[in-house]
Amino acid sequence: MTQEHPSIAIAAQARGHHAPPMSREKVFEIEDLSVHYGDKPAVKNIGMDILHKNITALIGPSGCGKSTLIRCLNRMNDLIPSARVDGRLLYHGEDLYGPNVDPIQVRKLIGMVFQKPNPFPKSIYDNIAFGPRIVGMAGDMDEIVEGALRRAAIWDEVKDRLNDNAFGMSGGQQQRLCIARCIAVEPDVILMDEPCSALDPISTGKIEDLMTELKEDYSIVIVTHNMQQAARVSDMTAFLIVELTADERERWGEIVEYDETEKIFTNPSDQRTEDYVTGKVG
Amino acid sequence: MPDEVRVQYQEELAKLEVRALEGLDLVTDQLARAIEAVEHRDSELAGLVIASDDVVDGRYLEVHQSILSLLATQAPVATDLRLIAALLHVMKNVERMGDQCVNIAKLIPLAGHEPPADERIVKDLISMGKQVRSQISQAKRAFEGRDVEMARDLVRRDDVVDNLNREIFRIALEIGDDADRREWAMTMILVARAIERTGDNTVDIGEQVAFVVTGLFREFQDASHPEGVSA
Repeated sequence: MTQEHPSIAIAAQARGHHAPPMSREKVFEIEDLSVHYGDKPAVKNIGMDILHKNITALIGPSGCGKSTLIRCLNRMNDLIPSARVDGRLLYHGEDLYGPNVDPIQVRKLIGMVFQKPNPFPKSIYDNIAFGPRIVGMAGDMDEIVEGALRRAAIWDEVKDRLNDNAFGMSGGQQQRLCIARCIAVEPDVILMDEPCSALDPISTGKIEDLMTELKEDYSIVIVTHNMQQAARVSDMTAFLIVELTADERERWGEIVEYDETEKIFTNPSDQRTEDYVTGKVG
Repeated sequence: MPDEVRVQYQEELAKLEVRALEGLDLVTDQLARAIEAVEHRDSELAGLVIASDDVVDGRYLEVHQSILSLLATQAPVATDLRLIAALLHVMKNVERMGDQCVNIAKLIPLAGHEPPADERIVKDLISMGKQVRSQISQAKRAFEGRDVEMARDLVRRDDVVDNLNREIFRIALEIGDDADRREWAMTMILVARAIERTGDNTVDIGEQVAFVVTGLFREFQDASHPEGVSA
């Protein structure tokens, strides 16, 4: 542990702890979080605890700030010059936006999988080995690559063609390769921003099965437009909504309800959640 | 305010509820005919009750199929899901009530064509039938209006039916030693039992009203712990 990178040691502790499936340990504590792009608010008044080794789904209509919120969790918004993040966001009890935190290390511990699979134009092997080489991970690289591909449930499909270009894989395989690439650097959290929106139902099913397996070892946060996917895979669900000023000049996202997924989809507390999940309003 | 969407689905769901609750009207008519057949020892009318049960069963199968279709194609959640689950229960109760009417109808030829051995029993059976028909109507109104209080009131009303059932049993015990009179009284006990079970079915439907509204499933009355009526 170094003074500059406090999150590393914290995450190492977290990874060594095998929590039961419905862990109540917090991996993120978010209080009064807001994000602005320039003068325009994107999300406001966000408050929620994200639990360790759980799958947490963020759902809501377009423009409600789901992606903005998930991007706060590994400081991806830092890459947008006009973005400003206010409020408190603790990661295992430490301020993720503290002055001594290195965003690069944050993104190693808190990996992200995007909507469209984005493998590097390299071999399958090199796609996985790239991250561990960059961060200087110790150990046999072949074992690291195989381990990551196995955990992403794609090893059997690619073990005989590790030197093939990743672009030759199907979309679903590419997405699982991206998950393997994320796992290879031994993260603590995996963020997924609509990971199945470009995939067919079979590939989607494989990713969902994989998520359920991965939550044994990782905390997962997923943004999805597919409410049935949220219902199928997640333990906790947050529903966000678009709020408007009276003159409709400003719009931003806020959390309406955050609860166990079963509650959200069988007996939500807020009528707006009810109307959204039942599809009464768009 | 966002535009309403999934309008067709909402219309289908509303229609499903109407079709299911109309099943209660069907069994109300069946029960009325069955009791009338008891009162007048009318085997022909009893035969009509038996034949008409196909209509009740047909409605049960129709609603059941519609529920499967909505579950498969629309993936209902939240209140919609609770409503659909409740309608399945309602229809099962409708089907059971229809069967109880058939049970009553089948007993009528066994009771013979002689005047009743004890008029008090027939009078009580008619009262039970009237009370349960009223309860079926109340259960329907409670469901339509999502009125939990009205639903819960079915427990109180069903006590009247239970008391009449016990009263009939008591009179039957004292009917005397004549074999024909005893056989008639035993048959009437079975009729009373069928009506009493139909009353219980209305309470079960009332519990589904509470489930749709609150999301919590609790029996209003627990037969195995009669003293502990849930709040």
